Amino acid sequence: MELFVAQLLNGLVYGVLLFLMAAGLSLIFGLMNVVSLAHGSFFMLGAYLGLAIFKATGSFWLAFVLAPIPVAGIGIVMELLFLRPLYRRGHMDQVLLTFGFTFVFLDLVQTIWGRAVLHLWAPAGLHGIVHIGLGVFSAYRLFLIGFGFAIALVLWLLLERSRIGAMVRAGVDNAIMAAGLGANIPALFSGIFGFGVALAALGGIAAAPILGLYPGMDSEILIPAFIVIVIGGMGSLRGAFVGSLLIGIVDTFGKAYFQGVALFLIYLAMLAVLLVRPQGLFGIKYSDASVAPAVTTTSRPASLQTRTSELGVLVALLILPFLMGDYPRALVSEIFIFAIFAMSLDLLLGFTGLMSLGHAAFFGLGAYAVAILGTQFELNAWLGVAAGVAIAACGAALIGFFCVRTGGIPFLMLTLAFSQLVFSVALKWRDVTGGSDGLTIAEQPSFFGFSLSRSLVMYFMTLSFFALTYWVLRRLLNAPLGHAFVGIRENEQRMMAVGYPTRAYKLLSFTIAGAIAGLAGGLYAIFNGFISSDAIYWTASGDILIMTMLGGAGTLVGPAIGTALFLLMKNVVSSYSEHWLSIIGAIFICCVMFFSGGLWGAAQKLQWRRVAK
Amino acid sequence: MSVLRLDSLYKSFGNLVVTDNISLIVDAGERHVIIGPNGAGKTSLVNQIGGQLRPSAGRVLVNDHDITGWPPDSISRMGVARTFQRNNLFQNLSVVENIRLALEVRLGNPLNFFAPVGRDTAMSERATQLMAQVHLDGDGARAARTLSYGEQRQLEIAIALAGEPELLLLDEPTSGMSPSETARMIALIGSLPRTLSILMIEHDMKVVFSLADRITVLHYGKVLATGTPAEIQANDRVREVYLGMVH
Repeated sequence: MELFVAQLLNGLVYGVLLFLMAAGLSLIFGLMNVVSLAHGSFFMLGAYLGLAIFKATGSFWLAFVLAPIPVAGIGIVMELLFLRPLYRRGHMDQVLLTFGFTFVFLDLVQTIWGRAVLHLWAPAGLHGIVHIGLGVFSAYRLFLIGFGFAIALVLWLLLERSRIGAMVRAGVDNAIMAAGLGANIPALFSGIFGFGVALAALGGIAAAPILGLYPGMDSEILIPAFIVIVIGGMGSLRGAFVGSLLIGIVDTFGKAYFQGVALFLIYLAMLAVLLVRPQGLFGIKYSDASVAPAVTTTSRPASLQTRTSELGVLVALLILPFLMGDYPRALVSEIFIFAIFAMSLDLLLGFTGLMSLGHAAFFGLGAYAVAILGTQFELNAWLGVAAGVAIAACGAALIGFFCVRTGGIPFLMLTLAFSQLVFSVALKWRDVTGGSDGLTIAEQPSFFGFSLSRSLVMYFMTLSFFALTYWVLRRLLNAPLGHAFVGIRENEQRMMAVGYPTRAYKLLSFTIAGAIAGLAGGLYAIFNGFISSDAIYWTASGDILIMTMLGGAGTLVGPAIGTALFLLMKNVVSSYSEHWLSIIGAIFICCVMFFSGGLWGAAQKLQWRRVAK
Repeated sequence: MSVLRLDSLYKSFGNLVVTDNISLIVDAGERHVIIGPNGAGKTSLVNQIGGQLRPSAGRVLVNDHDITGWPPDSISRMGVARTFQRNNLFQNLSVVENIRLALEVRLGNPLNFFAPVGRDTAMSERATQLMAQVHLDGDGARAARTLSYGEQRQLEIAIALAGEPELLLLDEPTSGMSPSETARMIALIGSLPRTLSILMIEHDMKVVFSLADRITVLHYGKVLATGTPAEIQANDRVREVYLGMVH
């Protein structure tokens, strides 16, 4: 009984921390239709700035009160300078922009405070333990629960009873109409964004004495906070509150009583809720037709790349390896593999209009199939690749079944949550997957009798799969099926009206994209000789999204160019500077701001303009 | 033989009743026009037939098949095509691609993932015919968003016709058009074969009386009267609530 009460209180503490994150995320989404992936970074910044203030002043409470202020300032500047110019564009650009900022903030924290886990102790007055009849409990934790409930009450009063609250609620309902009625929407956007960021920062400093401080704490709070708003319903404060406590308690009890499956419990809770209510517990009814597509590209449906230039590039790629040494050959081979991965994501993102933030799951299924079937059953790696493609396709069909019921941001969040579920399996099922230690590929296969340990053979192997994938995808995109995908991206409601069962088509696109990602994963396992759960963490899905968007979604060439650029930068910049995260983040932020169609998209626009003249 | 039959169709949003026990029949080949003041529930009615809106009660029958509550794509495959009150096109795609999407799903093989679209010459010829039919010959390569408003409405019709429907639902085909564009649209609709039945919402009385075989007048979600144009013009209650307001 005592343990039970203690777990319940621990669950409430975690729930309160999640609520401080989720309340801001949910308000910002409801009002501005922006999902900020940088919200976890603000949580982390709050904690670290709190530590700095504590070290300077010696007062925890001063840190507690002051730390959120500069973080909110950073948030408001980000909103004013970077998000604001993007409101006219598809809301996915904003998601991507905030993803770029997570790189910068992570690098900032690592540079100033290092990578080790730091500690911030609870204030002296709350150090002790309290007897509460049913057992003893840490005073600081009890304080947090009370504090969290008080914040929830204040937020509710602000929203329901104040003039600003009324404007926010009006803005959530219809921003344009609210502006017409006199609400100062731009100021409201900045204010709410800053307020939400301050709440996250407050959560960070509040959590610091319990969870400690370390780079990576941003992702660890962001993902469960996303699950909270998916469960609670996007844009609903009540949903954020109920969802936070639910997830906090489920997760804590899971870790205490069902250790083996603890990591999956919150995903299962999410699935259970979504099966019954796709819009979340307190979300407004979700309809397929009202969701804006992920990407609004100006490119032609299935861009017609001329045969001759394709042939020219192929010849150049055939000559290229003879001009370079082992290391660049390996780098280009890796680029080919990730280009396959990026093109598969683009089928979904650029051509079907669905933005997935969980595509690495299928890459992982393909890679683990090769590794596990090889080590456990001594299966030839090529058969492993074939099995991996099949497994990734089946996994995509299953996960896609749930995801394609939504679109837009809910789709993004669902794919993210599912991929984290796959990641958890890879991490926890150590006997089979090796967890974070990973698995080594038992035996490298040969390629038509040539040993893949030679960089030249590896180059030609990856090149042939890259060319094959490119060719197959180009055929598909020029065929009726590809046109149907583009039609769904452009206007799903009209596609239904002319007779396309669009949900089935979206599932088909998801499955094909998953299968090709599985191919890339299998090839990567052969190339790398090793696979660990890191390869399918959600940031891996984010990276491939960046590569695709950087080059230009909605074209086939774009993702390949983006991949090459990203991996070259990563390799070149990281050999000169420790700050390659910041540099890539900054370059990506600039690309989102100034080249909305990606680099290839911008190049095409220039070309059309010249043709038009 | 009725192509479309509505049996006591009822739809409410909370306390607001938009469709109040509407029963209506469209016979094969008939041109049936629905008129009524703003807010009479005309578009809601078409949305329930097309599957965009789910009725609260009552039945929708197409060729005696009960399609009540079916999703739009299934209804479309039953031979019901529609246009929308506000242009609802694939704005970034070309005219010919707009039409081909509709052609492919009903007459082609939309799951074909390997043969280039252009290789199917029968389909290309059909698309050319449709463009000629709606006076968009030569505009095939233009992006839909670059068409004039009236041309976009013509493209709406071409997309609807591409599926070779038995029943065509037209939601204010001439709204927002200039007089010359309207005249062209009347001629276009008038030239459609009688194998096709049409249920049309229209505000412009010139269009209504030059095309309608029968007219149904809606008022606050209810059927006020149904009859031939002459009967409707002679109906006192209709003159009172509707025609009186216009003229």
